[in-house]
Order: sequence, then structure tokens, then C-alpha cells
Amino acid sequence: MTASLIESQAAAVRPGGYSLVRRGRASFLVHRRAAIASCVLAVLTAAVCLAYLCLGERFVAPAEVLNTLSGQPSTADFVVGELRLPRLVLGLMVGAAFGVGGALIQTVARNPLASPDIIGVSQGASALTIGALTFGVGSFSVLPYFSVAGGMIAAALVYFFAWRGGLHAARFVLIGIGVAIALRSVVHLFITKGDYLVAHQAQVWITGSLNGRGWDEAAPLGWTLLALAPCVVWAARAQRNAAFDDDTATALGVPLQRTRLGLALLGVFLASVATGAAGPVDFVALLAPQIARRLTRTAQIPLLCSALLGALIVVAADLPARLLFAPVELPVGVLTAAVGAPYLIWLIVKDRSVRGSTGGVA
Amino acid sequence: MSAATISSPRAALVGRRTGWTAAAVVALLLAVLLSLAVGARHIAPGVVFDALLHGGTSESAEIVRSLRVPRTVVGVMVGAALALAGTVIQGITRNPIGDPGVLGISQGAAVGVVLAIAFAGVHTLAGYVWFAFVGAGVASVAVYAVASSGRGGASPLKLALAGAAVNALLISVIQGLLTTDAATLDEFRFWQVGSIAGRSAEVAGQIWPFLAAGAVLVLSVARGLDALALGDDVAKGLGQNVATVRIVGGIGATVLTGVGVSAAGPIAFIGLAVPHIARAIVGTDHRWVLPMAALLGPVMLLVSDVIGRIVFPPGEVPAGVMTALIGVPFLIAMVRRKAVSA
Repeated sequence: MTASLIESQAAAVRPGGYSLVRRGRASFLVHRRAAIASCVLAVLTAAVCLAYLCLGERFVAPAEVLNTLSGQPSTADFVVGELRLPRLVLGLMVGAAFGVGGALIQTVARNPLASPDIIGVSQGASALTIGALTFGVGSFSVLPYFSVAGGMIAAALVYFFAWRGGLHAARFVLIGIGVAIALRSVVHLFITKGDYLVAHQAQVWITGSLNGRGWDEAAPLGWTLLALAPCVVWAARAQRNAAFDDDTATALGVPLQRTRLGLALLGVFLASVATGAAGPVDFVALLAPQIARRLTRTAQIPLLCSALLGALIVVAADLPARLLFAPVELPVGVLTAAVGAPYLIWLIVKDRSVRGSTGGVA
Repeated sequence: MSAATISSPRAALVGRRTGWTAAAVVALLLAVLLSLAVGARHIAPGVVFDALLHGGTSESAEIVRSLRVPRTVVGVMVGAALALAGTVIQGITRNPIGDPGVLGISQGAAVGVVLAIAFAGVHTLAGYVWFAFVGAGVASVAVYAVASSGRGGASPLKLALAGAAVNALLISVIQGLLTTDAATLDEFRFWQVGSIAGRSAEVAGQIWPFLAAGAVLVLSVARGLDALALGDDVAKGLGQNVATVRIVGGIGATVLTGVGVSAAGPIAFIGLAVPHIARAIVGTDHRWVLPMAALLGPVMLLVSDVIGRIVFPPGEVPAGVMTALIGVPFLIAMVRRKAVSA
């Protein structure tokens, strides 16, 4: 009797939309909508992945694909295991990294437009990576360091130029667009400097492409993401505090500046690493977090959903990119831009998010 | 007495403007000389003059006449076209970041060119310049419609974002076409970044009628642009037909952008930076600003091109890359000065 009374009182103070999960003495709140959305997205992603492995120049039956995945010898081992699987895994990881990276940067900037490909982080990562290629850093194992350094430098530049006694959202985005254009020019500068082979490689790479990528590119990205996983768990908790306005957060004793800096660094890091592996796959980092938030209707951008959506978008775009004009393969960035740009236009037309995010300046 | 005090500041203003215009002409002549003399092979100014005035058959004279003169002439035309286009776009949108490159209009013209080469089988400049006009026109209408929809009208932020979105969309269209069509790729590589290298004298011969037409259209609305700067209502009150000014100016800017892109590819930031410099020098009167921009645009393009020739020898950096690198700091300074955030 009393237990159920306490339970119902607890339910009364619990924020709406959350359920309490108890495991022995541990208990935590789960946002019901977010949980359902994550499950649905996971199932959807799995289905697209299966289709990704089956379809191609040579159709492989789902049963055979599952055989290969479970390690039993099959005739499709080479096509599925060596050609499609590494590319799929890379696509999933790149998408997830863009999704979470975009979500964190958007959270810190409190602005859906501050996604890494609009404010120049992706372009910075591209510029330094192609610069390293051009000036003869041959080994692919060190290129990711250059990508991360490039992304960080770009973010620092935008922050430095946009800071003027505060970070005005409109100024931040406008300067980000400018820095992005300048860095894209730097990319072209390096391409003209490099020899023909590098130029050709770079040309495909700057659109964002999974063409011809294998385990060599996937493995370092996988280890990096695994190492960052604890940071992402921290970020999911810290995100909630960073969303308060400055006064509330200070009153609650949240180390606001440090938290924001940490979130921003992690976001830039993730977006840069993903760019280093597959090139700037445009608009994934803008789209995934925004769709995720609309799906779950939470106050903050849900990181798990963003990751799943990012992965889903990249893989679902790479499938037609591979098939549409076979045997020619389009860069996946062409398709994500073809979907993402209209979405950005819609955001502008709809106006509210642009206005809201810029403090009524737009 | 009173007549003298009223007229003397006015005379001083005209004098100052004339002086600055003369200075701009000198700057343009210097830039032209630089463009003729500097490159993989440095040629002394004396030899340049000699080759221009007396002909001559030396190797240097050949280089000047057959390579550098056409390149320089095209550079002057494209620079003037883009600077005029930028000035008019800034005027009719009443917006400091109007630039054909930033707003995606150049990219629209480029898509027109790619489609012409890939599907219509048009391979001459005189043929695809029309496609470039259509592409530029569609892109400019689309960007302005997107940016001005919703509350608040076309603010700099919304224009820049709409431009970024349209740019990204059009680049993906171009990339998709180029990946699937190797022959077009080969022909189009010529434009992709924006460069005036390797342009022949024919190019200059083919674009000048369009350039002249665009310039006439643009100059004819100079007074209207002055009135527009005061706001739509005041402009109407002053007897200007606001819609006509916008449409004629818009067509002029579209033609100029189309010509510039057909000849040199999408070159950004000349249309952004030059009008601001011109206004800082001669004030806001468009009858002075437009000619000033037409003088300074070529200076910026030629100087960018010359720098591009000497930074990474023996290769050349396309002029479009250098104009962006020079122009972006300008944009940043403007945004920081709060000229843009309103």
C-alpha cells in the first residue's frame, strides 16, 4: 500500500515521458520515446546493412551473406567479406561519428546551423589531410592525426574570429561559412601543387567517398572510436548541464565553460576523425542530430539516436551511390548533399529555427 | 558667399572622386603591366612595351603577345563583370554580403555550362554562355526566394545560408555528372576552380558584347540603386519604380555573372570585396561606385592571378583560389565590424 503510494508520488515528480528502470539497487530513467526510436532505428539500420551486403554487381542471397558473417565458408566470401563488408563497416562508423560530432557541436553552439561541414571543421580536416598527402606524408596511418589537427585549427580559427565579448550566433555561423570557403580554396591550392596521382586521389576524396576503402581505413577509425566511447558516455550526461542558460548553470554549480569546451573538443574530434577516414560527407552532421531530436522530442539532442541516424544515412546513401550508375560509383557525398541541401533550405524557409538560433537576428 | 560655401564642398567632393578614379586607373594600368611581365618567365617592362608597340619576334615578345595579352584582357573583362555584378546585387538586396560566388549564382551558371556540354552537345563559348545565363538566373531567383521567405526578410545570414545550401546542391549535381561522364569531366576541369590561365583572344572577342550589354543595363539603374538604399518606401516616394529597378538590375547582374563564369569559371569574392572598397573611396553614389568597381575588380583579379603564378613555381594556382584567400579575411573583418549582423 505505502510502497505503491511512494511509487505514485515518485511518478508525479518524474519528468514527463520518462520511465523508471530498476535493476536490483541501481535505477535510472529512460526516455520512452527515445528508447523506442533507438530500437526502430537499429532494426532499420540492420535491414539496410543486409541489403547493402546483398545488392551489387553480383547479387548475393541473404542466407549466403549470413553464412559469411557467421564465419562459415561460402562462395560469396570474397565479394561480401572482402569488398562490401569493410566498406559497410567504415560507412557505419563514419556516419555515427558525424552524427555524434554534429550533435555535440550543435549543442554547444545552441544552433542547428553550427554543424561541422557548414562552419569549416570538415574543410579544415580536408585541407590539412590533403596538404599532408601533397607534401609526401605517404603512410595512411598518420593521416588521421593531420585530419584531427586540421579540424581543431579550423574550429579554433572560427572561435577566435567570432569571439567579440561573446559568441553571437549569427556572427559565429557567418564567419564559419567564410572560413569554410577559405579552407576549401586551400584544398584546391594543395591539389594544384600536388602531382597528378595525388590530385586524382584528392578530387574523389574531397566529395566524401567510401569508394575502394577497406579494412586499412576502417581499423584505425574503429580503435579511435572505441577509445572515445567513455568520453561520449560522459558527454551524454554533461550535455544536459550545458543546455542550461549561463545564470542557471552557474547557480547550480556546473563548471559551464569547462563542460562546453570538453563537449566542443569531443565533437570537433569526432567530425575530424570521420572526415579523415572518408572525406567530408556533407550534411550528415547537420541532418542526423536534427532528425533525431524531432523523432524523440527531447530537449537535448539524443546522442544514441544521432549516431544511429548518421550511420543509417551514410549507408542508405552509399547503396544507391554504388548501384545507380554501375559500374561507375558516385561519391556518397554527392547523394548526402542532394538530400541535405534541400533540408537546409527548408530550415531557412521555415525560418523559426534560424530565428530562434540566432537570437532574432536573422 | 553662401553659394560659394555650398558649391565648394560639392566641388571638393567631385574633385576627390575624380582624383580617386584617376588613381584607380593608374592602379589598373600597373596591374595590367604586372600581369604582362610576371610569370614562369619574368619579362622586363621595357621588353613588354617593346613587344606591344613594335611587335618583334623574340621569344619574350611571342609570350607577351600570344599568351599574356589574351589572359590579361580576359582578366580585365571578368574582373569588371564580377565587380559590377556584386555591386548591383548588394544594391538590390540591400545587403552587404551580396556576391555571385557566395550566393551560389556563379555555381548556377557553372551547372548551366556543364549541362550544355554534357547533354546539348554545345562546345563553344558563344553557345554555352546562354546556358550560363539561364543557370545564373534560376540560381539567383531561387536563392533570393529562399532567403526572403518567412519573417524578417532576406537578412545577410539567411542569404549566406541559402547560398551555401544552393552551392552544395549544385556542386553535388556537377560532381554527379562529372563522375559519370569522363569526356565532360575533361572539358569542365577548365572551369571548376575559376582561372584565367590559357584563355585565348577569341574568348575576349566572344564575351565583350554580353559584357557591354550587362554594363549598360547596370549603369541604367544607378540612380534607382541610390534610391533603393534609402528603403523601398522612400524609393517609391522619390518616384522610382522599385520593381523595375530590381528586375533590370537583376538581369544585368545575371548577364554579367554568366559572362564572367563562362569565360573564367566561378571566381568568388571579387563581387564581395570590391564594391565595399569602392564605396569607401567614392561614397554611396552608384554613378561613381559602379565605374570605380569596374576599375578595381580587374585590379583584384589580375593581382590575384599574378600572385597565383609565383607562389608555387613551376605550377600555377588558379586565380579563383587566390581571390577566395584574399577575400575571406575581408568578409571576416566586415562581420566583426558588425556591418553585417543587422
